[in-house]
Amino acid sequence: MNRRDFLKKMIKAFFTVITATVFSSLIYIYPSKIRKKELQYIYIMDEDELPRRGVRRVEFNVEIDDRIIANRAFIAINDYGLTAFSSVCTHLGCLVNWDNNKSEFLCPCHGGKFDINGTVIAGPPPMPLTRLPLEIKDGKVYVGIKV
Amino acid sequence: MGKIFDWIDSRFGVKEPHKRFMRRPLPENINYSYCLGGMAFTYFLILVFTGMLLSIYYVPSEKEAFRSIVNITDKVPLGWLIRSLHRWSANLLIIFIILHAIRVFVCKAYRSPRELNWMAGVLSFVIAMASGFTGYLLPWDQKAYWATEVGTSMFKTAPFIGDYLMYMVRGGLDINGTTLIRFYSLHILYLPVSMAVILWAHFHMVKRQGISGGL
Repeated sequence: MNRRDFLKKMIKAFFTVITATVFSSLIYIYPSKIRKKELQYIYIMDEDELPRRGVRRVEFNVEIDDRIIANRAFIAINDYGLTAFSSVCTHLGCLVNWDNNKSEFLCPCHGGKFDINGTVIAGPPPMPLTRLPLEIKDGKVYVGIKV
Repeated sequence: MGKIFDWIDSRFGVKEPHKRFMRRPLPENINYSYCLGGMAFTYFLILVFTGMLLSIYYVPSEKEAFRSIVNITDKVPLGWLIRSLHRWSANLLIIFIILHAIRVFVCKAYRSPRELNWMAGVLSFVIAMASGFTGYLLPWDQKAYWATEVGTSMFKTAPFIGDYLMYMVRGGLDINGTTLIRFYSLHILYLPVSMAVILWAHFHMVKRQGISGGL
């Protein structure tokens, strides 16, 4: 074998090793287990605490893999009747707040605004606020949330 | 070479100035023992690469360090492979530096004008040993702890400044989270960067002075 052929073989071997390395690195870096989101019903209040009109903010804790994460939702009486809204802004996922004076949900990040029905009235959000399933059982109110 | 390479090279221009390295004259009687330094350098490259991968999962804190090591070894896909590669390459790097030094010594390649390059080589050996010592603490198990206890106690035996040296290395009187972060930072930042600079100087001098003519 002359030097030119030898070098060509070496370069091919080099790139084979590089390819193998890149693939095993990708296998190594990719998370070994990825949690699946599940619908979970969480107790938020008793039935007689439900608002008669307007919006009520509820705070609750969600347990994910032994970690407790604070979350919030809104219970509103609007055109649809009794509705639960997720507080997660449909734009980029910040948590919105209910402004009682202006009667609108305001997102602190980019100024997205929603009315009491969850419809976008200003700002960048592409969709209305997500409505959450509500369940009332034995006088207790549960909200369904995907965590 | 290939089309893509030629397209890049006609703009980047790296092929032409490097052609002379392919035609560089070599002494007549060299053999495979002249590859030992290159092999040590290959281990350094493997260490840099596997180290970068390990840093993705390793957590340098008192509480998490050992658990993250167990996680890498047992749960992360191919984690055992990456960690073993890092560990064995570290041992082999030291071995090949020593073999390389023996070859240079036997061939009298440390003589003028190559004295400075010998010093650079010794410095890189010291950095490799320091990397080994700091890396040994990172698993944060009993063996690591007591090895560091012994190793850092040696600083205390230096005359006059011994105590202060030891406090400096440990980041206090005892070995704790502070020491761990110090060693981690040295291991992944200060030492590899110094090593890269020293190796650049080492290779620069080899290129300028040529390979010594052998025995």
